[in-house]
Amino acid sequence: MTDLDLVLGDVRRGMIPAHIYNDEEIFRLERERLFSRAWLFVGHESEIPQAGDYVVRRVLDDSFILSRGEDGQVRALFNMCLHRGMQVCRAEMGNASHFRCPYHGWSYRNDGRIVGLPFHKDAYGGEAGFRRKGQTLLPAPSMDTYNGLIFLSLDPDAPPLREYLGDFAFYLDYYTRQSASGIELRGPQRWRVKTNWKIGAENFAGDMYHTPQTHTSVVEIGLFREPKAEKRKDGNTYWAGNGGGTTYKLPAGTLEEKLRYVGYPDVMIERMKEQWSQDQLDVIGRDGFMISAASVFPNMSFVHNWPRVEDSDDVLPFISLRTWQPVGPDETEVVSWFAVDAEAPEEFKALSYKAYLMCFGSTGMFEQDDVENWVSLTNTAAGAMARRLLLNSRMGLLEDGTEVVPPLTREQYSGPGEAHVGYGEYNQRHLLSRWADHLERPVEKVSQVEVSGVPADHKEVRA
Amino acid sequence: MSTQTQPTAPEPAKEKVAAAPTGNGGPYSAESRLGGHAPRTQRTGRSLAFDDPRHLQAHHWMVEETYILDAQNYEDWLDLLTDDIHYIMPVRVTTALTAGFDSAPHMAHFDENKYSLSRRVARFLTEHAWTEDPPSRLRHHVTNVRTFATPNPDELIVDTAVLLYRSRGDIREASIISAGREDLLRCVGDGWQLARRTILVDDAVLRTQNLAVFL
Repeated sequence: MTDLDLVLGDVRRGMIPAHIYNDEEIFRLERERLFSRAWLFVGHESEIPQAGDYVVRRVLDDSFILSRGEDGQVRALFNMCLHRGMQVCRAEMGNASHFRCPYHGWSYRNDGRIVGLPFHKDAYGGEAGFRRKGQTLLPAPSMDTYNGLIFLSLDPDAPPLREYLGDFAFYLDYYTRQSASGIELRGPQRWRVKTNWKIGAENFAGDMYHTPQTHTSVVEIGLFREPKAEKRKDGNTYWAGNGGGTTYKLPAGTLEEKLRYVGYPDVMIERMKEQWSQDQLDVIGRDGFMISAASVFPNMSFVHNWPRVEDSDDVLPFISLRTWQPVGPDETEVVSWFAVDAEAPEEFKALSYKAYLMCFGSTGMFEQDDVENWVSLTNTAAGAMARRLLLNSRMGLLEDGTEVVPPLTREQYSGPGEAHVGYGEYNQRHLLSRWADHLERPVEKVSQVEVSGVPADHKEVRA
Repeated sequence: MSTQTQPTAPEPAKEKVAAAPTGNGGPYSAESRLGGHAPRTQRTGRSLAFDDPRHLQAHHWMVEETYILDAQNYEDWLDLLTDDIHYIMPVRVTTALTAGFDSAPHMAHFDENKYSLSRRVARFLTEHAWTEDPPSRLRHHVTNVRTFATPNPDELIVDTAVLLYRSRGDIREASIISAGREDLLRCVGDGWQLARRTILVDDAVLRTQNLAVFL
């Protein structure tokens, strides 16, 4: 039996009970207290550009249809027929004006409203027995978007998404708003790995310490020139609002030279200059930091890297978005998309896609070595010995809690939040302390939706 | 001089000409934004007889390749590929019967040319490709081989089914990847080389930790 208060206390002082990475009881609490409340990324508006377009996405065990109605509006509809609970949409994507349940033929418009109920009059006596009017597939309790990114929350009282993201929105723009048109999202690639979902989220949030070791091979083959230990430690790790990430320090030069250094063509640089605030431009141009990996609490991550995709010295940047979808305490479905600025030149889009495939995703050469480590970690965390081990996640802190290096000042860094140069596990601690905040807070009873219900004291009247 | 004739073989079964073509090809290579360099050769007619020398050579090639892949002799494998190879493995998705597509638009697991494949191979040859050190035990089971002629005498199309069994460590559950492949083989010098491969994996969600393997 786990003493939850003890576990959460340990986590908050940066000592991680190793078993939290593979523990049924912890996972049950995460399901009940974290994933029932947090904002979770499920897709992007560009995946369903036309009326009738839909994709089906899961939030743990719950399936939602993200559908663009004839009115152009995007909705998230719980994929369960109001009659007997059958999935009304069994495809992953497509275009449909209606969803018809294969079981008894109830059908719904792509905005969720019920339109077809076979034998309504004969079976229910019409509206007197079943009020068809106004019935709709259950909408997600909360849905909100930022830069076209669609997030759901199972909490009807979730704060507005923008408020939840907080200052991390500043950094989100680098990945998802390089021009007024925002991104196009392609994919996702999906695969299941025997690893706990938190490990990936922590790694992308702030583990710049692993890069020179885990990813030695990609430097050796000339795919990526940056991860060398000395370059990595000159970058900063920032945490802002509900997310944080890592950056690389770029060689000296103007804003334009720095963006060209990572492979952006001038036509894209001009749009970034129109799109981003002075502070956003200064992080790159004045301060010399380029965003790389990041995570938004709890399980969404980003990558921005600039590998060589051809036999030349040129590099090309790519962006990937992903979620670490929990399947069980020891299993995660990685859902990984390629993202590219919608206004980018076609050739850039093609080569950026190639850069993504070579580096991340199911075949990515960075990713391959990450997952091998995480599978091994998860496996080891299952046993009795792991319950005796508190892992030290205090990098960047002295024993008395003072920081090894002070945070960057406003003069050194224009981005919001707190940023430190050098090695540190600041962001893993931020992520897990939010995790602890959720896990210690019991959930309130959820309200239920009755499908054309009757008061509880109504009984069947027998003739 | 013997008058004895060869025993008469039964007439080849008059197969019904299928109304819809079957096979593991599809529009993926031609439609890929990274497939501009790829050969466009398509199959002609029905599959070649199993005693046709071209089929025998193609089948032999496929079997030899599986041993190279199982042994992870990837430098040897690269030598089997033409310089204009396109190696593509689309991401499959579940769609309605009438949707007209069953793969994620413009997204693949592999969408490779010779350069990117050579980088993948080079990585395995470093001492720091942790995902395959210790290496997986691999067994590619290749079957359902059929060969088609093309308009070019020196090119053949080969359909195969492949089942990859991948076992890592001592107690981890092994992963299995099932796929259909369509290959374009080209006669170069005195042997055949792979000029295009389309891999239609049978899972929408892969059940393997990564694709640090080739199919």
